[in-house]
Amino acid sequence: MKHLATPAALILAALAYFVPSVAGGAPVVYAACTTIAILAVMAYGADLILSYLGEVSLGHTIFWAAGGYAASMLAVNADWNGWQTAAAAIVASLVLAAVLGLVTLRTREFVFSLVTYAAAVVAMEVAFNWSFLGGSDGIVGVPPLELALFGHGITGSGNADLWPIAWALLMLTLLFIQRFRHSRLGTSALMVQMNPDLAQALGVDARAVRFLVFVTSAPISALAGWLYAYQRAYVGPDMFESYFLVLMLTAIVVVGRRLLLGPLIGTALIIAQQTFFSIGGDGDKIILGTVLAAILLLWPRGLIGLWDVLRRPRASARPPTAPAAPAARR
Amino acid sequence: MNLAQQLINGLVLGSGYALIAIGWTVLLGAARLVNFAHGQLYMLAAFIAWAAMTRLGVSYFVAVPIAVLVLGLLGVLLQGMMLRLVMQQNLTSLMIVTLGFGYVFQGGAASLFGGDPERFISPLQNANIRFGEIWFTWQDVLTLVCTLLLFGTLWLVLNRTRLGALVRSVAEDPKLAQLFGIDAARVYIGVFVFECAAVALGAGLVAPRSPILASIGFDEVIMTFVVVVLGGIGSVGGSLLAGFGLGMFTALFGALVSPAYTTAAAFLVLLVVLAARPRGLGTR
Repeated sequence: MKHLATPAALILAALAYFVPSVAGGAPVVYAACTTIAILAVMAYGADLILSYLGEVSLGHTIFWAAGGYAASMLAVNADWNGWQTAAAAIVASLVLAAVLGLVTLRTREFVFSLVTYAAAVVAMEVAFNWSFLGGSDGIVGVPPLELALFGHGITGSGNADLWPIAWALLMLTLLFIQRFRHSRLGTSALMVQMNPDLAQALGVDARAVRFLVFVTSAPISALAGWLYAYQRAYVGPDMFESYFLVLMLTAIVVVGRRLLLGPLIGTALIIAQQTFFSIGGDGDKIILGTVLAAILLLWPRGLIGLWDVLRRPRASARPPTAPAAPAARR
Repeated sequence: MNLAQQLINGLVLGSGYALIAIGWTVLLGAARLVNFAHGQLYMLAAFIAWAAMTRLGVSYFVAVPIAVLVLGLLGVLLQGMMLRLVMQQNLTSLMIVTLGFGYVFQGGAASLFGGDPERFISPLQNANIRFGEIWFTWQDVLTLVCTLLLFGTLWLVLNRTRLGALVRSVAEDPKLAQLFGIDAARVYIGVFVFECAAVALGAGLVAPRSPILASIGFDEVIMTFVVVVLGGIGSVGGSLLAGFGLGMFTALFGALVSPAYTTAAAFLVLLVVLAARPRGLGTR
């Protein structure tokens, strides 16, 4: 059964394409689905670090914003089309990730998190004050997304137009994450996380692995930011808000780490709550923060841990087995 | 630019940075716990003191102790919830949990106290002292004195008393300390309560400088990072030096280069230091 789990997950995600039309095709449904796809892709970038390196990157809002700024600045000022701005978003995030990755190369655990967090705050300050990036006003009037493929032009501005693109981006991300999990880099990353000594004995260069995973993760979040710029037609320093940071972390941990569909389902739950069951902006903050803290305090493995408890009622009486949180104990 | 005035400003800013950071320094040293809600605790304390003054009508000098007390109780509650993870030293999860708490505080403060900037006023803020060109307020003097007193007392307690020895032994090796009959859980709770109370005192003294908003925690915490990491993990004396050093740097950078980029510049200093010494300047 286990070897079928991944194809089943991918097929399930692919079927999500029909969710908006099945759900009635109302604009609010298309908006919610597009937003879920975009923010899930953003979360997958941070997921690579949290699930496979076992570190907490608080700097992925930088790459998310870099994608958005690259897209909107080049689309507004230089009339670049969607493919060109996407390439620019990738390049910009790779450069930023390489710099931040080199700076944090020797830092681990909380020092790594502190430095990435501080980098995000500073990046926000720079975006807020630097007129080149639009300052506090940001960049307004991003034109509709233009993507030409085999002579067929796709132009998208509304959420219904953007949904196929967001869905395609999500599927590409899932396939990429799937490939990463089985790649040499992905397995090395897990080994470095679980047993650094063994990894070193087998000739794995832990620093190189950490650096490469960090750099690999950046374009994922950046492409999400790229599409977000077209969805909102506006980009500003609010892309650095802690909302996005808390959202990506919650999306990753709520269902369970190291699950292919985990961040997607997590994002869908959060956005569904905020779209259809919102209790106001501040109330939603309280809900999101509470969910994040409560999951880790009560069910550190995420909601999937609950499923295990339900499946084997007597097993829950046992003390938790060692693999419950291997990432944490070093 | 008046150099003497900027040095005074640096001293004033620095005492604030050190005071706000000290709780976290102790927490990090004793429990290896990174509290990302630190900035939001600062914000919450400022709002509690403000609410005590405007809604209960008490004076500033009563409001600040109330905030310290409330935050101390909140500390017991928070650490009680996190205790299992703290005992496991599950640091990754704890870090994320504190981020979640911070987000809850921010949303909670905005819905309880409103989303507009409020003025939390100390009567000493307008009492100026002038020496020719140079001026400062009695509030600045009070902050400096409180900072030095707190650091001095803390240093004595940590290094010269049985209580301090308990904290240091848990910091050194929690498992071994427990074998010797030390209740590490109580030490962790005590340290966390100290953090919350200390940041509340810091907020009571420093927050009157500018209007308070539910979102100020986000900005406030970055200078604390710089102080804690530059001073060295868990080093009390290092934090004081780092706080004053950062205050001088901020004052001079703001006056000579650009006030808008002071945080970015302070962060750049942090990066340079970290690249050279990944565990901070004052590592034991």
